[in-house]
Amino acid sequence: MSEPIIREYAQARGVHPQTLERWLSWKAPDRDALANLALDLRIGENHLRDLMDWLEELALRDGAAIAAILANGTVESIASDPRLGRADKLKRIKEQVRRLRFPRLAQIENEIRVKIQALKLPPGIRLSVPPGLEGGRLQVELNAATSEEFASLSAQLNQAVAKQETQDIFQLLAGQQAGARQG
Amino acid sequence: MQGKVDRLQLMELFKPEEVIVERGSETSPIYRNLVRALPDVPFHMAKGDTLFRGAISGVRFAAAKRKLYLTKYNGEFFKKCPGSEGQVCCNYFVINFASNCPMDCSYCYLQDYLANNPELRVFSNVDDLIAEADRTLSRHRGDFFRIGTGEITDSLALEPYTGMVREIIPYFAEQPNVLLELKTKSDCVDSLLDLDPKERVVAAWSMNPQTVIDADECGTASLGQRLSAAYRCQEAGYRLGFHFDPIIEYQGWEADYREMIDQTFATIDWRRLAWVSLGVLRDTPALKRTMRSRFPKTQLLTGEQVLCPDGKLRYFQPLRVAMYRKMAYWIRRAAPTVKIYLCMETREVWEQVFGYAPACEKELGNQMAPAI
Repeated sequence: MSEPIIREYAQARGVHPQTLERWLSWKAPDRDALANLALDLRIGENHLRDLMDWLEELALRDGAAIAAILANGTVESIASDPRLGRADKLKRIKEQVRRLRFPRLAQIENEIRVKIQALKLPPGIRLSVPPGLEGGRLQVELNAATSEEFASLSAQLNQAVAKQETQDIFQLLAGQQAGARQG
Repeated sequence: MQGKVDRLQLMELFKPEEVIVERGSETSPIYRNLVRALPDVPFHMAKGDTLFRGAISGVRFAAAKRKLYLTKYNGEFFKKCPGSEGQVCCNYFVINFASNCPMDCSYCYLQDYLANNPELRVFSNVDDLIAEADRTLSRHRGDFFRIGTGEITDSLALEPYTGMVREIIPYFAEQPNVLLELKTKSDCVDSLLDLDPKERVVAAWSMNPQTVIDADECGTASLGQRLSAAYRCQEAGYRLGFHFDPIIEYQGWEADYREMIDQTFATIDWRRLAWVSLGVLRDTPALKRTMRSRFPKTQLLTGEQVLCPDGKLRYFQPLRVAMYRKMAYWIRRAAPTVKIYLCMETREVWEQVFGYAPACEKELGNQMAPAI
């Protein structure tokens, strides 16, 4: 893909000149790989910057070419999935690249998600963790329309507190199982 | 074996290409020391308002450090350490007798903090510094002050030329309510060794394994040189401090850090330690941009860091808590009762690492106080 096409895209999307300069400083196959994705999904400045940060850091960490990272099977299959809309594709591709960039964080987040699901809580109770797990606290949200519903949810929440999965979640948040870096 | 230190070659000393002196600073003892220590370096005089003209704009950060400016400082020398929003504060005060540092660590926050005024400056008005400190210290004799000098410079890297620390130690050594900390990555301690610190001066080192020093701490002393300098200071009667900060996480970090800790506590007497601090690599999105441009190959950029509420990037919490726990365990194994604190961390992280958090900044500060 030629540089003028990237410039034209950047101008149309209002991409900051510094971001454009950074993009154009990449090797041709790398900048073209991102351009294919950007043009297809009409990626805006903020998402573009996130992706560029993560891709550059992945390339540095793994000694891989950015084009090769984007040619990863999962990224490609999301990009070509006809069932997904543009926004969904972008969201999932970003999640996938983030997972590659932050593998241990993503793994702990996933383990916590699995533990929360295993608690089988009713829809009126929502458990979540803060972005990036910062703060180390489990967030609990109760959603009740009546006092009876509130009482019922509280009782179910109380039962969940005693379960092993809940203990596991707090252990994960407290770094008891944070893994070592993979070579 | 404690006390056994190899005879090591001293670190290669930074030497300024030129010294620019603000008119009026010639009467300062620092000027006298510079002239004596740098006989082959050109000195130029300049008026205060023209001092930096043409020197800043367009000058890259590293290049700006090659000249040394001796100027009068007109602001307040004595300040409370700003800490970081929402973090447990260790009630630290700072005295800035210089600005910027001749070393060039790839993670250094000064790259961003001093981006617009990166000149290497040393302040000539030592009398004002001491007078200002004395006003506060004598007015609050019942309070204990832990004062650092390494916030925006390395406390000792320029000491062979400026003799700054040698000028101020005699005053601080006489104060009953102070510990003055000299924090460095250098081994420039010779001028301290014949002074009596009277238990009021802490010589402290930022510590990292040699792997990290080689990769990301350009122009600093090697680990062995730092330990040798620490040993010499201890022998000369100084209390010591060690800052394992920034702790860097990489493949094999555990073995390197454990070995460094073992080496440290095999060299010095831990009972003479005033404190040990722990802190993981911290940067900001802006600093990361600067690092990317100045040190594009540094692996520090690839850590699993997330943006924290105070605007700083740190390794995600479960990971860094696990790192702190390991570090504290290795340290405690060698030095069971040494005071360890976390630098710029939240109460939650303190709780997860130590099982408690200080009730307030005064509590943490007082834990560091010797019997007054």
